[in-house]
Amino acid sequence: MLLTQNVIDFMNENLAIIAPLLIIQLVLMITALVSLIRAETTKGPKWIWALIIIFFNTIGPIVYFIFGRSHES
Amino acid sequence: MNMQWMTIYKKECLESARNYKWVWVPLVFILFCIMDPLTTYYLPQILESTGGLPEGAVFDIPTPPAANVFMMSISQINTLGVLVITLITMGTIAGERKSGVAELILVKPVSYTAYVTAKWAAHVTLVLLSIFVGLIASWYYVQLLFGDVSFMYALITAAFYSLYIILVISISLFMNTWTKIPGVVLFLTISIILVLNLITSIFSHLLEWSPTTITSHLPALLRSGEVGQDLWMAALITILLIISLLFGAIQTLKRREIV
Repeated sequence: MLLTQNVIDFMNENLAIIAPLLIIQLVLMITALVSLIRAETTKGPKWIWALIIIFFNTIGPIVYFIFGRSHES
Repeated sequence: MNMQWMTIYKKECLESARNYKWVWVPLVFILFCIMDPLTTYYLPQILESTGGLPEGAVFDIPTPPAANVFMMSISQINTLGVLVITLITMGTIAGERKSGVAELILVKPVSYTAYVTAKWAAHVTLVLLSIFVGLIASWYYVQLLFGDVSFMYALITAAFYSLYIILVISISLFMNTWTKIPGVVLFLTISIILVLNLITSIFSHLLEWSPTTITSHLPALLRSGEVGQDLWMAALITILLIISLLFGAIQTLKRREIV
């Protein structure tokens, strides 16, 4: 309870500083998900990639972009 | 020749757009660059919340000078960034040769020089843009949280650092012409960079102008804005190496494809 209060206080004070970081991470995640949905085939099942992208912050999308996309060009 | 070059260059950029590289590579470099300024700024809070300190302990963490924090971003690019750069370039020619696309392109009267240099230029454009965007973001945070760093000096620092990064791209492209397996390109490129670093630090008195010394000149450049003679020489050597690598890549590709 005390901890959550602290976190909320902290976020209120520092939101302007941390917001860009959170937004960039979110945009990266959404781009990866859009790419995943639009891809016809991927290396490995799509739902596993979706979990990796959503749950592994930053690293997940990078790993998907580098290793997940199959080269259909 | 010029038309041809532009066509390949545009094809490469279009492919990067289709792969979302124009979105994710800049974003990832921004994240790499702002990670350290932020964690350094919040270090006291992070230590407090992880509870590593005994009750009542007062632990004064000195705030590092602004220029040092900016350099942290560059060293982040030097490790994680170089890895990402090598990962995105490892298949650019090797992959096309493996899948037969390169043969298709090179059957037409496309010069090897245009093929290699246009690919190289496309990757240089993407990576340099990402690094500049990332370092400007880092500069912004440093300015906001730590103190004054001249924007002009930061840009000059980034420009000299770019030379080293172009060298990394050139090494990777060169390796692309030697093997068709992207994983091997990755391994060889990283190995060469590590060996170059190692040799430079062992024979530091002999290799004053090695490309890897560029990074060590940057802190002074960032503070004073003055480009020392050693840095000029290191930059010159780096440019010569880049040209030789491109030339070598073209020659290797010619010999491989004709057979």
